[in-house]
Amino acid sequence: MNIFFKQIIPHPLKETINPKSDIWNTNCEFNFGKSYIINATSGKGKTTFTHLLCGFRNDFSGTLEINGKDAKSFTFQDWSDWRFPKASFVFQDLQLFPQLSVEENIKLHLKLGTNVSLEKAKSWLAFLGIGEKWQQKCGTLSMGQQQRLAIVRALLPSYKWLILDEPFSHLDKENTLKAMQLIQERTEENKAGFILLALDPQPEFQANFHLQL
Amino acid sequence: MLKKLLFQTSKTPWIAYFGTWVGLSFLFLAVHFLLRLNSYGNDSETLKSNVMILQKKVGSSATLQIAKTDFDETDLELLREISAVEAVEPVINNNFRVWLETNDRMLPVFKTDVFLQAVPSNFLDIQSPDWQWKIGDKKVPIIMPRDFLVMMNTFLSSSGMPQISDELAMQVNFKIRVSNGNQQTWYDAKIVGFTNELAALLVPKTFMDATNEQYGQVQKTKITQLMVASKKGKFGELEKYMNENGLEAKKAQVLIGRLKSIVSTLLLLIFAISLIALVNAIFVMVQYLQLLLSRNAYNLKVLLRTGHPHTTLIRIFVTHLFVQFSILSLLALFTYFGIKILIDTIFHQGGIYINTDLSWETFVVAFVILAFFTLAVFLTARKGIRQLFHS
Repeated sequence: MNIFFKQIIPHPLKETINPKSDIWNTNCEFNFGKSYIINATSGKGKTTFTHLLCGFRNDFSGTLEINGKDAKSFTFQDWSDWRFPKASFVFQDLQLFPQLSVEENIKLHLKLGTNVSLEKAKSWLAFLGIGEKWQQKCGTLSMGQQQRLAIVRALLPSYKWLILDEPFSHLDKENTLKAMQLIQERTEENKAGFILLALDPQPEFQANFHLQL
Repeated sequence: MLKKLLFQTSKTPWIAYFGTWVGLSFLFLAVHFLLRLNSYGNDSETLKSNVMILQKKVGSSATLQIAKTDFDETDLELLREISAVEAVEPVINNNFRVWLETNDRMLPVFKTDVFLQAVPSNFLDIQSPDWQWKIGDKKVPIIMPRDFLVMMNTFLSSSGMPQISDELAMQVNFKIRVSNGNQQTWYDAKIVGFTNELAALLVPKTFMDATNEQYGQVQKTKITQLMVASKKGKFGELEKYMNENGLEAKKAQVLIGRLKSIVSTLLLLIFAISLIALVNAIFVMVQYLQLLLSRNAYNLKVLLRTGHPHTTLIRIFVTHLFVQFSILSLLALFTYFGIKILIDTIFHQGGIYINTDLSWETFVVAFVILAFFTLAVFLTARKGIRQLFHS
């Protein structure tokens, strides 16, 4: 289940595209089961990259192939099948439900179907230091706590690809390393791959490829 | 959980609920009574639609026996020569005494003198297989004037008994006594239908011929009424002849027809107003759905982005509104049922015995409206959620 970017130029980035980009306006294939860290400064299209892979925008030239199929020919159902369970996302704006509790946010996602139990999810939250926030409304958590919840939620499906858009921007070093450890363990368990988009180079993280956006 | 997320902040659209309930209730009532009114009398009429009974106008000269009120063979021949006339036959009257009385344990004894009439069967539209009589039969089928039933019900009311409907009257056992003063015979009688056109009991012609021969007190009975079948679209010509020759037809059927027409128009008006009210209410409910989608735009986007299938989300909204509309439809059906009982009772007290069964067509209308509403909700929800998909 490879992802292939063929000469893709997002329309909003047409004028500001990085000529040294490994992704835009070139051919770039993400091979299934491999890990990628993509480094980019602000405004280089990290969120655009995530939204292209999520199917929310198709304002680009070139071809995006997912598992050998042109993403522009995807039906609503194809995108639904891709978003769950084949791919899983941590969005930059987290996309949680602030009016629901941590427990409800987790349970809502578990209802989609996964091999992860509620207890396992709770243990991950505890590992990341927010186990005691179980009953608390998500909107009352700090940004760092919400970020950890979003990471745990993304780890629930038996995904083939995990796409993370600046997942550690509000975390301290200790929690970042813990989160990364969890991500790598879960990805290995799923025999999957991940693409991590970050502002700065992340030399401390192990990945098969480090790319520039 | 999804329901809690999507519907926790929504306000209940009470005005739309009220409009839907009222619109559906009146629509069901209008449909029901339109059908019942149109079928009123159809199943119990005995004369074919192109047949009428003619008689000579009775004036003071007739009362003084200066003018004739009976028909002879010449009159019949003249009528047969009119191109608008398909067939003419005399209505045969009894020329012996006849009594009718109830013979049923369920009813008090009711006895009265009656007149009998008979017409050739080709003028009648009677489906009952019992409408036949041959010499030796002890049981005589009769067709009763509806006015006679009203009179019987008046008698039953004054006796403290419940009134009887057309259907029930057809189950009652009667006896007919025929006599010429010297001899008499009893026959069992059973009602097989009703008529608004005749004032006497209608019996099979074979019975009339046989009893007139056996008990008749005069050689030949006078013909005072004729059964005339007119050709389609040529009634005007016949009517002109009638006016020129002092003939008249019974006006009751014309009056009933006019009343049915007026009430039908009123019911159609109620139907149209109900339909407009209902369409408006459905429109408001669809707008309520659009408001729900708009208020939940963030939640829906997140649900879609985190992998919840759009089909599941569409289904949640459709199911939510389908359940609400089904409950309102059920309430409206109960309301229709309650008001129908009330109106049936009022009709019954007024001597109008329409079919009181629930009409299946009303349930079909309810089902069609529910299906239409569900389709409108589905299309709106699908469009709204698909628009969010790429936004």
